Amino acid sequence: MVGIDLTARENVPRWLNYATPVVTILLALACGAVALLALGVSPLAAYWTMFGDTLLSTFGRTQTLIKAVPLILAGLAVYLPLRAGLFNIGAEGQLVFGAIAGTWIGLNVELPSVLLLPLMFVAAGTAGAFLAGIPAWLRAKWDVNEIITSLLLTFVALQLQSYLVRGPMQDPTGNFPHTAQLSAAATIPEALLGVHAGLIVAVVAVAVTYVLVRKTGLGFEITFVGANDAAARQAGMSRFKIYLLVFVIGGAFAGLAGISEIAGLQGRLRAGFEPGYGFTAIPIALLGRNSAINVMLAGLFFALLFVGGSSMSVAYGVPAALVEILQALIILFLITAEFFKRYHVDIEFDRAGDAATGGEA
Amino acid sequence: MADHAFLRMEDIYKEFPGVVANDHIDLSVNGGEIHGLLGENGAGKSTLMKILYGLYTPDSGEIYLGDDRLELDTPQDAIDAGIGMVHQHFKLIPRLTVAENVVLGQREPAATFRADNDDSRLPESIRNNRVVKSLAETFSLGLDAPEQRIQELADQYGFDIDVSANVADLDVGQQQRVEILKALYRDVDLLVLDEPTAVLSPTEADRLFDSLSRLADEGLSIIFITHKLGEVTAIADRVTVLREGRRVDTVPVAETTQADLAELMVGREVLFRIEKDDAAHGDPVLEASGLRADDDRGIESLSGLDLTVREGEVVGIAGVSGNGQTELAEALAGIRELTDGDLRIDGADLTGASPRAFVDAGVSFVPEDRLRYGCAEELSVLHNAGMKAYREDRFADGPLLDYDELGRYAESLVEDFDIRGVSDVTDIDAGDLSGGNLQKLILARELDRDPDLLIANQPTRGVDVGAIEFIREAILEQREQGTGVVLLSEDLDEITDLSDRILVIYEGEFVYETTPENADRERLGIEMTGGRVADEPADAVNSPEAVAPTAATDGAESTDSTADVAAAGDGD
Repeated sequence: MVGIDLTARENVPRWLNYATPVVTILLALACGAVALLALGVSPLAAYWTMFGDTLLSTFGRTQTLIKAVPLILAGLAVYLPLRAGLFNIGAEGQLVFGAIAGTWIGLNVELPSVLLLPLMFVAAGTAGAFLAGIPAWLRAKWDVNEIITSLLLTFVALQLQSYLVRGPMQDPTGNFPHTAQLSAAATIPEALLGVHAGLIVAVVAVAVTYVLVRKTGLGFEITFVGANDAAARQAGMSRFKIYLLVFVIGGAFAGLAGISEIAGLQGRLRAGFEPGYGFTAIPIALLGRNSAINVMLAGLFFALLFVGGSSMSVAYGVPAALVEILQALIILFLITAEFFKRYHVDIEFDRAGDAATGGEA
Repeated sequence: MADHAFLRMEDIYKEFPGVVANDHIDLSVNGGEIHGLLGENGAGKSTLMKILYGLYTPDSGEIYLGDDRLELDTPQDAIDAGIGMVHQHFKLIPRLTVAENVVLGQREPAATFRADNDDSRLPESIRNNRVVKSLAETFSLGLDAPEQRIQELADQYGFDIDVSANVADLDVGQQQRVEILKALYRDVDLLVLDEPTAVLSPTEADRLFDSLSRLADEGLSIIFITHKLGEVTAIADRVTVLREGRRVDTVPVAETTQADLAELMVGREVLFRIEKDDAAHGDPVLEASGLRADDDRGIESLSGLDLTVREGEVVGIAGVSGNGQTELAEALAGIRELTDGDLRIDGADLTGASPRAFVDAGVSFVPEDRLRYGCAEELSVLHNAGMKAYREDRFADGPLLDYDELGRYAESLVEDFDIRGVSDVTDIDAGDLSGGNLQKLILARELDRDPDLLIANQPTRGVDVGAIEFIREAILEQREQGTGVVLLSEDLDEITDLSDRILVIYEGEFVYETTPENADRERLGIEMTGGRVADEPADAVNSPEAVAPTAATDGAESTDSTADVAAAGDGD
C-alpha cells in the first residue's frame, strides 16, 4: 500500500522561489530528451545544436533577439495584469489589433519616417489598449470573468484580421490574403546587431514596467489590489482604476509587439502572420512573474527555444512540433512546481490499509 | 469527571529557529473534562495544540490517548485517532453549503450507489461491484443522509443552523458552529477549540458553553484554548497555564481566582479596569441620520440609524453579533453603500462618496475581519503599514515612491506599538504575525494618521490580555487627542470601560441609550437580545430565541424606542 500525504507548507523557502524556474526548464528538457531518443537522435547533440550553436553564431543570436521582441512585449502584457491579480489571456488578440492599426497607418499616411513610425506605434498601442480595455472594464464594473472575455475577444481580433486582409486592406495588386508591402518610411530601421529598433521599444517597456511596479505609488496600489482587493478598497485605492490601468497598459504593450513584428520584420500584414506569440506570452509571464526583468529573461529563453528548435529540426530532421512539446512541458512542469512549492508531499510505503484512505482525504 | 487521564502529552519539546515554542510541557486531560489552556499570544498554546493535531511534529516528547501511544504525522492521523480541532480562523469553503463543508473529506456516494439503500434503481450486485463502488465514492456525492444527520446533530446541541445554506451567507458565530459540527460529525473523543469565543457575542458564548457542557457530560473531552479568564472560570474543570513556552501550573478552577490566573499568565499583576480622564467633547465629527444599508445578501440590516459623535467622545455600540454592526462600521468607513440617509464627517457631506474620500476626510477604520479588510496577508509589514500613508507627500520621491522612507515609517510603527515578531519590515509578511501583533499593526497604522474619526469594530477580539490593555489605552489616548471614536464591541466590559455614551443596536436599529455610569448590565443584555424591560406588556420574556429574526410586532415596538434614542441624541 502506498499512502500519499499532502501538507500545506507554512512557509515557502526562499531558495525554492529561485530554483523552480530553473528546475522546471531542466526537467522539461529531460522529458524532451526521451522524445529525441525515441526518434533516434542523441539528446545531447540535439540540445547543443539547439542552444549552443544558436548562441554561438551571429545569425542565431540575431534571430533570437528578433523573436524576443514580440515575446517580451506580449509577456509584459500578461505580466502586468497578473500583478494586480488578473489574467490577460487575450494578449494574442491585442497584438493582432495593434498590427492591424499600425499597418493601416503605415499604408495610408504619408509622412517622413521619424513621424510616421511613432504614429504607427501610437496607433498600434491604442488599438491594443482598446481591445484590452473591454475585458478590464467588464471585470471592474460588473465582475465579468476577464479570462473568458479576453480570450474570446482574441477570436474577434483574428477574424477581423482575416476579413481585412481579404477585403478592405488586401493588396490591390495580387490575390493573396495579405496587405501591400509597407513603404521604406514605414519600416522600422535596424538598431544594432542586425536587429530592428523594436528591440529598443521592448527594453524600454521592460524598464517602464519595472519602475512602475516596483518604484511608484501606482505600483504599490497594483501590488496591493493584487494581494487583497477588499483591503485595498478600504484604504481608498480604486480597484476600477487599477484593473483598467494594468489591462490598458498591458494591451498597449501587446499592440506594440504586433506592429514591431510587421514593420520591423515581415513588411506586410498577412492572415496568420504570427505563431501565437500572445499565447506563448502566458508561460513567459508565469515564469517571470516576480519582476519585469524576469519576464525579459523568460522572453529571451522562449525566443531561443523557437530559433534553436527550428535549427534542431532542420539539422536532425526531427519534427518542429518537438519544440512545441518542449514549451508545453515547461508549462506543465511550471504548474506542477507551483503545487510542490505550496505543498509538502510525503509518500509512504508499507502502511496498513488505513493509510490509503488517509491519502484520499 | 473520570479519574484517569484520557489524554497525556508528556515532556513535549518543540523548537523553531531561534525560539523554543514548547519547553518540556506536560498536559493531561481526563475523560469528559473541559480543560482550559490559558496563556498570552505566543505562549505556546497554539504550537502545543498543532502538535496534538498532527500539524507539527515535536522534537521530543510523547502523546498518549487512552492506552495508545500516538504517532501524529498529519491531521488525518489525529482525526483517525478521534481528535477534532476547531481553528480560530475557520477552514470553510464559503461557496459550499453547510452540509458540503461538513462532509468534505468524508463524503458519501450518491443515494443511488449506496449499498444500504433499498429504493435504489440500481440492482444490489452492481452497487456492490468494487469498481462501481470506488467510482461512485470518487465521483458522486450524496448529501441527503449526511444532511439529515448534521441537522440532527445541530438540533441536539442547540445550533441554530440551516444545513443547506451557503457558508458565505452565515455570520461568524454560525460559521464557528459549522466548524464544531465538522468535528462532531467525525465522532471525535477529544475536541480542541482554539479561542472559540473570540468571535462570539456573550449570549452566543453562553450557548456555546451550554453545548460544550452537554458534550462533556456525554464523555467528550474538551481542550479550550483561551486568554479570557472569565471563560476559564465559567466553564473549565481544570486549567493549565502556559507562559513563554513553559507550563506554569495546572490547577482546578474551583480552587483559584481570576486574579491568580492573570498573574500566572502574565507574570505580573494586570489592571482590569482602565482609568480614563474626562475629555471635553467638541464639535460633531460624525453626523449620520436615517442610515439604511443592506448586508451582502441584499437584506436590509441598517434600518434608519441616527448617530452623532463629537470630538473626543467614544460612543460604544453594544449588540449581539449580526445585528448590523458590521454593516454600520463599513458604512461609516465608506466601504458599504447606503440605500438611504445622510452621512457628514466634520460637517462635509460624504453620502455616497468613495472610500478614498473617507480616508482623506480623516476617517480611520479598524475592521472586524483583519484578514479581509485590515491587511494583505501575503504582503510585507512595510506594505501593510503604508497601506494608507503611501500617498502622503513625505513618501514622494519625485514621481516615485520612496520605499526607504516607507520602510523607516514601518519600523517606527513597529517600535512605537511594540509589534513583536518583525525582524525586518520588508521580509516579514503580515500573515506571519500573530493575531494580537497584526491587530497592533493595523491600529498603529490607523492611529498614526491622527484621525478625526476612528471606527473600531471588535478591536480586541482574539487578542491576548497584554495587547488588549495596550489597544484600549491607545484608543483612549487617541480620544484625548480629540478623535471621535465609534467603538463596536460584543465585550460589555470593553464598552463600559471605554465609552462616554453607550448605544445598543438590535436588528439594525438603536434600541437603547445610556452612559457607563448608569449602565446596568442586565438591562443592556435584555436590550441586546431584543427583549423588553418589565414595564412593557406581556410577552416580554422571550430571551435567547429573540436572537433569531423576530416578528413584525417586535420591529414596530423597537421603532418607537429608536425615536426616543434619536431625540436623546439630538439633545446631547
